[in-house]
Amino acid sequence: MVVLAKEVPDLEAMVKVTADGGALEVEKRRGLNFFDEIAVEAALKLEQSAGASVLAVSAGAGTGIEALRRALAMGSDAALLVDDPALEHADSLTVARALAAAARREGFDLVLAGKQATDDEAGLVGPMVAELLGVPCVTNIIGLQVEGDIARVTRETEAGRETLSVALPAVLTVEKGLAEPRVPAVMGVMKAMKAQIPRVTLAELGAEAQPPLTLAGYATAPARPPAKMLEGEPATVAVELARLLKEEAKVL
Amino acid sequence: MSRFVVIAEARDGDYRPSTYELLAQARRLAGSLGGEVAALTLGDDAGLRDRLSGLAHRVISIGGAGLAPYSADGWVAALGSALDALPARGAAPQVILFGESPRTREVLPRVAARLGAYAATNAVDLFEDGGRLLLRRPVYGGKAYAVHEIGAGRVLAAFRPHAFGADAPAGLPTAFEEVAAPATESRVTVLSSEAGAARTVDLTEANVVVAGGRGMKGPDNFHLLQELADALEGAVGYSRAVVDAGQAEHAQQVGKSGKTVSPTLYVAAGISGAIHHIMGMDTAKVVVAINTDPSAPIFGYADYGIVGDALQVLPALTEEIRRG
Ligand SMILES: Cc1cc2nc3c(=O)[nH]c(=O)nc-3n(C[C@H](O)[C@H](O)[C@H](O)COP(=O)(O)OP(=O)(O)OC[C@H]3O[C@@H](n4cnc5c(N)ncnc54)[C@H](O)[C@@H]3O)c2cc1C
Repeated sequence: MVVLAKEVPDLEAMVKVTADGGALEVEKRRGLNFFDEIAVEAALKLEQSAGASVLAVSAGAGTGIEALRRALAMGSDAALLVDDPALEHADSLTVARALAAAARREGFDLVLAGKQATDDEAGLVGPMVAELLGVPCVTNIIGLQVEGDIARVTRETEAGRETLSVALPAVLTVEKGLAEPRVPAVMGVMKAMKAQIPRVTLAELGAEAQPPLTLAGYATAPARPPAKMLEGEPATVAVELARLLKEEAKVL
Repeated sequence: MSRFVVIAEARDGDYRPSTYELLAQARRLAGSLGGEVAALTLGDDAGLRDRLSGLAHRVISIGGAGLAPYSADGWVAALGSALDALPARGAAPQVILFGESPRTREVLPRVAARLGAYAATNAVDLFEDGGRLLLRRPVYGGKAYAVHEIGAGRVLAAFRPHAFGADAPAGLPTAFEEVAAPATESRVTVLSSEAGAARTVDLTEANVVVAGGRGMKGPDNFHLLQELADALEGAVGYSRAVVDAGQAEHAQQVGKSGKTVSPTLYVAAGISGAIHHIMGMDTAKVVVAINTDPSAPIFGYADYGIVGDALQVLPALTEEIRRG
């Protein structure tokens, strides 16, 4: 099994747009993407029942090691980092090519990935990897059982929920609820700290980078003016709020 | 030539609201930048194509086995080959616009990978500036926006509901065309599907969202949220604290690890306003917060704040709205 592990800034990290709008300053607190952590946990659970091994793969330009150490600390058997300067601010397709090439080289029955990363929230890489590998993909799963070379998965739909079967090898992206990520034991953390994580470049994998979409700049989210505070008896404020929503905000 | 292709996706007997919004924005942009607007509609959805009359220069229906019932494999193959064939049909697109939806999320990335095209999701704007075509999308949960320039190279982009108004002038002469998709077998089989709690209005598409948090003090009071939502023809959402307590479904959670909503009006009742919650609703147009604690962070993200008991304010507001 291969788990795709992205290193992202901590959810609480400060993000600031530089004065010229050309870049973002992001506080350097980094870790494994929230949804990838769930993917690692799901893989470890399957490993126990199916006896397969778990390889965590990350792609970055000098980043990714933190994410992989977390995956190792949780109990993954091995880790691999695709480390290449071309992965700096890389396009999703370039990242997907890197990860797909790594998965192909290492071999896989199942690739698990988070449904999206918490930094760009794009949700592109998992399904792209499936397409590049030529295998089927099911997104946002909340239930997973593997029997032989068939995976039975559950996911929420707009109407309710559905259960699907998919022939392996496949790529599955995971939604919150599939598994509760374990907190690594101290022993695991120590082992992960000492682990030598092998690195490969895009060229070594035969993967090609494509130039990213031109970035015109960054902008700060438009700030809301301070809230208009209403006070008084519920009935009075309700009348006043309804009036403001109708006449001032014009949303009713 | 055609610059804009909109993927027209239907649900429950009509195209999604986003289809009409995207077509309207494509018409506005084609008006200022030049170019044509085409709509692509697949499988069963194509049966509704008459509704697109006047909204695009061409409406291309893609038919074939493997498209109905929907399967990701079928749609990816059909869209891939149809988009590849467009230039030969005199309709080379620059931007292919999708509305955010579960289908879009599984189809768009794979089509982009197949075509070697650019892909962007979660976009909130596509606009013209000095002759340049620009796309805006939030990053880091809305802490900032990235603006991309669309130049050479096709871009497949998914836009959030309510990104654009649907009211651009229509009345275009529309040519209806048909193409056949390559036969594709789905490698994924649906074993069963069950309907969840009936939701009349989808949370992410709703114009109004009434959301409740721990301050609602449990499921016994959730009818107060539903009643206001009904009066406003909106949907009900919940904070993670409520979902984690097993009082609501995850499908109704708003926030970082739940749904992202951008309604016209968002009412937060008994929600503290943790950053993870804010990330799921900060692009709402107008935010109303009801909280007993005057120092609750939610007031920092609201347009209107009411310091008070949600259990009393909600019914009073519902009554006032019903009165009209
Ligand atoms: C990785 C991660 C992801 C997360 N994702 C999400 C997410 O997707 N969505 C989400 O919502 N949270 C998310 N959270 C959790 C988030 O940090 C908060 O814990 C959560 O939003 C709190 O929910 P709440 O506002 O309902 O509860 P509380 O924080 O307990 O707030 C309750 C509020 O109700 C007020 N109150 C009490 N009584 C009344 C009354 N009678 N009338 C009016 N107000 C009253 C209180 O003053 C208080 O402000 C996430 C956290 C993490 C770590």
